[in-house]
Amino acid sequence: MSRNSLFTWIVMILSSLVLLFIIAPLAGMFIHTGGAEFLETIKDKEVHQSVWLTLWVSFIATFIFSIGAIPFAWLLARKKFPVKNFVQGIIDLPIVLPHTAAGIALLGFISRDGFLGKSASLLGINLVNHPSGIALAMAFVSLPFLINASRDGFAAVPERLEKAALNLGASHTKVFFTISLPLAWRSITTGFVMMFARGMSEFGAVVIIAYHPMIAPVLIYERFSSYGLNYARPASVFFILIALLFLIALRFLSLKRKEKFINTDAQTD
Amino acid sequence: MLRLINISRQLGDFALKDINLEVSDGEYYVLLGRSGSGKTQLLELIAGLEHPDTGRIILDNEDITMQRIQDRKVGIVFQDYAVFPHMTVFGNIAYPLRVRREGKKAITEKVEKAATAMNIKYILERNTEKLSGGELQRVALARTLITSPRLLLLDEPLSSLDTSLKDDLKRLLRNLNKAGQTIIHVTHDYGDAISLAKRVGVIHNGKIIQEGSVDDVFKNPSNRFVARYAGIRNFFRVDISRENGLSVGLTENKVKFRLNGVIAGSDTLLLIKSDSIAISNDMPSNTELNALKGKITELIPSEFGMEVTVEAGELFYINILASDIAELNLVENKEVWVSFPAKEIVVINGN
Repeated sequence: MSRNSLFTWIVMILSSLVLLFIIAPLAGMFIHTGGAEFLETIKDKEVHQSVWLTLWVSFIATFIFSIGAIPFAWLLARKKFPVKNFVQGIIDLPIVLPHTAAGIALLGFISRDGFLGKSASLLGINLVNHPSGIALAMAFVSLPFLINASRDGFAAVPERLEKAALNLGASHTKVFFTISLPLAWRSITTGFVMMFARGMSEFGAVVIIAYHPMIAPVLIYERFSSYGLNYARPASVFFILIALLFLIALRFLSLKRKEKFINTDAQTD
Repeated sequence: MLRLINISRQLGDFALKDINLEVSDGEYYVLLGRSGSGKTQLLELIAGLEHPDTGRIILDNEDITMQRIQDRKVGIVFQDYAVFPHMTVFGNIAYPLRVRREGKKAITEKVEKAATAMNIKYILERNTEKLSGGELQRVALARTLITSPRLLLLDEPLSSLDTSLKDDLKRLLRNLNKAGQTIIHVTHDYGDAISLAKRVGVIHNGKIIQEGSVDDVFKNPSNRFVARYAGIRNFFRVDISRENGLSVGLTENKVKFRLNGVIAGSDTLLLIKSDSIAISNDMPSNTELNALKGKITELIPSEFGMEVTVEAGELFYINILASDIAELNLVENKEVWVSFPAKEIVVINGN
C-alpha cells in the first residue's frame, strides 16, 4: 500500500476544509428546519407560487436566449473578426458587475422610458414587475455561462469534421445542425443547466426589476427581513430541494439526449 | 481533366507559389512532399475548402475556382479520416445521401453496395469509436465514393496503417483507379508513389519542383533536393520466378536479383537504398550476396561523400564516404563489383 506524502495530507486537509465550508451552512439549515415547519411551508400557496414562478421563468429565459446564444457561441469558436477579444470581454461583463447595478442598468432599458420598455408597452406589456422583466434580469446575469460553455464545446469539435461534411455536400446550416451541434451537445447542455441554475438563484438584478411577482430568492429575503431566520429557513430548504430535483432531471435528460445522438445518427432527413 | 493554372495562396508565413498542374481523367497522380510542404493545402484548394489568392482551377473544362464546395463533386479523404464520431458506420456512409434528401430505401441500398465494395458490410451498425485504422479508412473512402466524385483526393491515406493493411488498401486504390476513378494522392512516402502512381509531382516549400512519370522523377531527379528526398534511386521492375527453390527477380535487361523468402508476382518493383550497396574492386567472397560486375560511369560529390553510378546491366546509385573513394581508388570507367544482401531488397508488388 502506498503511503501518502506530507504534501498530499496537507492538500487533503485543505480540501476538506473548503468542502466543509460549503456543506456546513447547508447542512445546518436542513438540521435546524423542523419537520412541522417544513410541512407547513410545503402547503403554503405563496411559497408554491414563487418556486414555480422562479423555475419556469428561468427555464423560459434560458430556452429563448439559447436560440441566439448558441449560434453566437459557434461564431466565437469558429470565426476570426477584428474586435473578437472586445466582444468576449462584453460577454463576461455581467459576471463581474454587481448584480444590483446590472438590475439598475436593465431597469433603464426596460422601463416605460427605455427602448425595450416602450416597444413592449406598444404591445400592452409592462416589463417591470412582470415575469418577462424577471426573465430578462435572469438572462442578463446568467447568459455568460451558456455562451462560454457552448463556445468551448464548439471549439473542441475538430474543424476537419465540419470540412468533411461540407465536402460531402452538406450546406453550412446542415453542418451546424448535424455535426457541430451534436458534437458540442454535452458542453451546451452544461451551459444550459448552469444558465438555468444561475438565473433561478438570481436576487440582486431581479429585485430591482420586480419585487412582485415574487420569485423564491425574493420571497426568502422578504420572509427573513420581515419575520426572521426561522421563518425564512423552511422556504429556503424547500426551494433548494426543488431546484436540486430540477437540475438532476435536466442532467439526466441531457445525457439521454447525448445517447440518442450516438445511437440514431442525428437523422438529417 | 483537372488543370491548376498559376495557383498561389498565402497562409500565414507559408505560401503556395505559382502551382501549375494537369491531371488527366483516369490518372493516378501522386504528389510527394515532406510535412509542411503545402501538399494538404493544395488538396484543400482543389476541394474548395480554401480559395486561392490568384490562379484558376479548371475541372472538365469548367472554372471551379470560386465554385461552392458542395457543387464541385470533388471528394476528399482526410489523413485522420474525419469519420463522424456520433454516427454509426451506416450513418457516416449515408450522410452525403441524407443531406441530398434521398429516399430511405435508396440510401440503404446504396450504403450496402458501397460497404460491400469496401468490405466493411459487417461493421455497418457499429459505432465508429472502436474501429481500427484500416476500417476507419474504408468508412471514409466509402462515404466519399458514394457521392461519385469526379476527382478523388487522398491525403496521406496510408500513413497510419500497418504493412498488411497498407497492401490491402493499395490494392483497393489500384482497383478503384483501374475502374476509372481519377485520383490525386498526397504522401511523404516515395514507396507509395512508386507503387501506385502513373505520374508523380514533388512539392517543396509550396512549389512543385519536378513532375513526370515515376521513372523520370526518380531516375533523373532535376535537383539535389528531389534526389535526396527520393532517397531511393535504385528501383527495378522485375518478373519473379523460382530458381533452385529461391525467388529470383529478372529485369528487362536480364539482371538477376536473388530475393529473401518466397515471393511471387509479375511487374514487381524492387527497391534498394543507395547506402545498402557496397562497392569493391574484387568479387565479394560471401556467396550469399547479390554481386554484379560493372563499370563506374559517374562520380558526383554529395553531402556525406560521393555518389557513385555503376552500370552493371542496370544503373546502380551508391553512396559512399569520400575516404572510401581514395582507398578503393575509384575513378570513372573503372571496373568494380557492386553487392548487396537479399534482405536489403524491398519488394513492392505491382499487381
